[in-house]
Amino acid sequence: MPSSLLVTSLVNTIQIGSLYALMALGLTLTFSVIKLPNFAHAEYVTAGAYAALIISLAGVLNPLIIIAVAFLVGALTAVVSHLIVFKPLERQNVSLYTLILASFAVGLIIRYILFTIADYFNIFDLRIAIPLQILFRTGSLILTNLFAWVAPTSIVLVILLTLLINRTALGREMRALANNTILARVIGIPVERVKNYTWLLVGGMAGVAGALWGLQSAVSPLMGWAAIISVFAAAILGGLSSFPGTILGAYVVAFSENTIMLFLNFSYGVDLAYKPAIPFIIIIAVLLIRPQGLTQLLKRAGELGR
Amino acid sequence: MIKKLVSISLLLVMLSLLGAGIQAQDDIETYVLGIPLPFTGSFGSFGQDFERGILLAVSQMNAELEAAGSNIRFDTASADTEQTPEGAARALQTIAQTTGAQVVVGPLTTDEVLGAKQFADENGIVIVAMASSGPAASIPGDNIYRVIYPPDTFSSKAFATIALERGHENMVVLHVDDPFGNGMNEQFIANFQAGGGGEVASFGYAPQSTELSTEAAAVSAALAGFGDNAGFFCVCFPGAAQAFVQVAQVDPILTTVQWMGNEAMTTLEMLEDPGHAQTLINANFVTVSQSAASTPLTPIFNADFVAMFDKEPGIFTNYAFDAANIAMLTMLAAGNDGAAVKSMLPFISNHYIGTTVQAYLDDNGDQAIASYGIRKVSDDGTAFEVIGSYNGNTDTITYN
Repeated sequence: MPSSLLVTSLVNTIQIGSLYALMALGLTLTFSVIKLPNFAHAEYVTAGAYAALIISLAGVLNPLIIIAVAFLVGALTAVVSHLIVFKPLERQNVSLYTLILASFAVGLIIRYILFTIADYFNIFDLRIAIPLQILFRTGSLILTNLFAWVAPTSIVLVILLTLLINRTALGREMRALANNTILARVIGIPVERVKNYTWLLVGGMAGVAGALWGLQSAVSPLMGWAAIISVFAAAILGGLSSFPGTILGAYVVAFSENTIMLFLNFSYGVDLAYKPAIPFIIIIAVLLIRPQGLTQLLKRAGELGR
Repeated sequence: MIKKLVSISLLLVMLSLLGAGIQAQDDIETYVLGIPLPFTGSFGSFGQDFERGILLAVSQMNAELEAAGSNIRFDTASADTEQTPEGAARALQTIAQTTGAQVVVGPLTTDEVLGAKQFADENGIVIVAMASSGPAASIPGDNIYRVIYPPDTFSSKAFATIALERGHENMVVLHVDDPFGNGMNEQFIANFQAGGGGEVASFGYAPQSTELSTEAAAVSAALAGFGDNAGFFCVCFPGAAQAFVQVAQVDPILTTVQWMGNEAMTTLEMLEDPGHAQTLINANFVTVSQSAASTPLTPIFNADFVAMFDKEPGIFTNYAFDAANIAMLTMLAAGNDGAAVKSMLPFISNHYIGTTVQAYLDDNGDQAIASYGIRKVSDDGTAFEVIGSYNGNTDTITYN
């Protein structure tokens, strides 16, 4: 594989891995605190992307405002789906399978609402209208303004979320819920309020991921769904409950889809059309070989470092 | 007593009126035209627009039939193919089992058409497809007719001829990995190499892909490997094409070679991003496009469409309009019977000129007259303009 191709693929790995991390952390948070592998998560991403697209088409081209609006719309979508569907179902003590099915249904409903909006305004396959500019170029390494927005924004948000979880009162309450919901309730943690904040954070981060994804790809009602398997692969690789594991998982998936895929194509002629199979292979391999994901490896590495 | 007589008389009058109504209703014979199209998925907007084109054709036909005193009317039954072969089979089955339709206009893509083929062949249902062009569905004797839009054997030859004329010694192809994209790729390679072209490196991408940075990197590396005089040919659906151009516009190799692309790339959405438009201008991008063709009926169709739906028709909507007219004219001649329609459709089709070109079918039931416009991005980057034409039947290019 030529070195130029390796460099390009590594840049892509960082950019796409950062986006996967942003999406996957929300998924991990939902699973840890709410105890739900939420398939509607994909649609929070798409809702954020469409919010960003619409305001960019309206002439707002400041990336910070675009990201803020995407956060709000994603958060609102998640909180509304919680209040209307998931919260009433939890009160009925339905099984996890029912909740998963409900998340599929919520996702489909949001997706087709977005289809209706996109059809009405004829906004299919459009890009968020921030012009692409080259900021840095040396040899085959090219960094654009989109890279400068996507990678640092994702990384900063991931750091902020990690700090929030580990260093704030809300984070402690979330961790308490993740550990044992009944016990958390007994010791006086306002469970419903913490869950509301969790949904808000999860949806907001997904919305921001959608806006950033829409900067480098075309926005369509299926864009979130197209990415969700890779995001699930990242979360499962991270053990579904570990934030550092999820972040590492996101970059491993992105590395596999970009660098390893290109290596396989270049060296063995494996068709790039097999790229979508990679996250499935990762999911199955993890579930068969190492169901706890990378969590234990990270813990062990931490212990060795002490 | 008088009251009773009046009541009985009124009852009899009402019954006779009701009977007359039923009789009048019985006189009207309704033929159902099935519409299996993708109403959801990334082609959902195409499907909805095509459906409007068919509804316009049906509405106009019913008005003419009524004015002429005919007792035949057309009705429609739509079902979502979900843009998948299985979905297309389900949609066809649903339409057939709920309405008894013998003829359907649709599905959209070759993948969907092939998915619906088995059910259609086994149950004598005639498929009149308006946009499927993949060579994989060129099958003699089956129940599939692909009217108006010619198979890609023509357009792939057009692209190969243009590539050779541009002096490309080697080519890199990025294509969607489905029957349409694979067929176009294979035919292009065969035509390019038969015409004296050299190596062709092909890369398929998964149809559901929304992000193509890996593919762009691979295409760029292959072009770099070929050196000078290599060209790039993109066979992509609109969303993927946008995603590809987005990453390609800063690539040092892709921005220095000449590009060609299939018709689906030439949506106005592609040009809404000035960076994308400039990339295509710099790449001297050309496409061959049947949608550039028109007849005196085209502006009439456009005006009627706007009047009925209060919006402009999409880029291929008149194909659906023409396909529906061919299907209905055949049913008027042959009756509401799949076998008779199958037998009669080539005759009707070969005598039909609609809003695009003269319809004419070959032995596979595919459009056999191919007349394409060659289009490029206008200098101001706001539209695709016709710069020449390609006659698929004589393999000749003429520039304006």
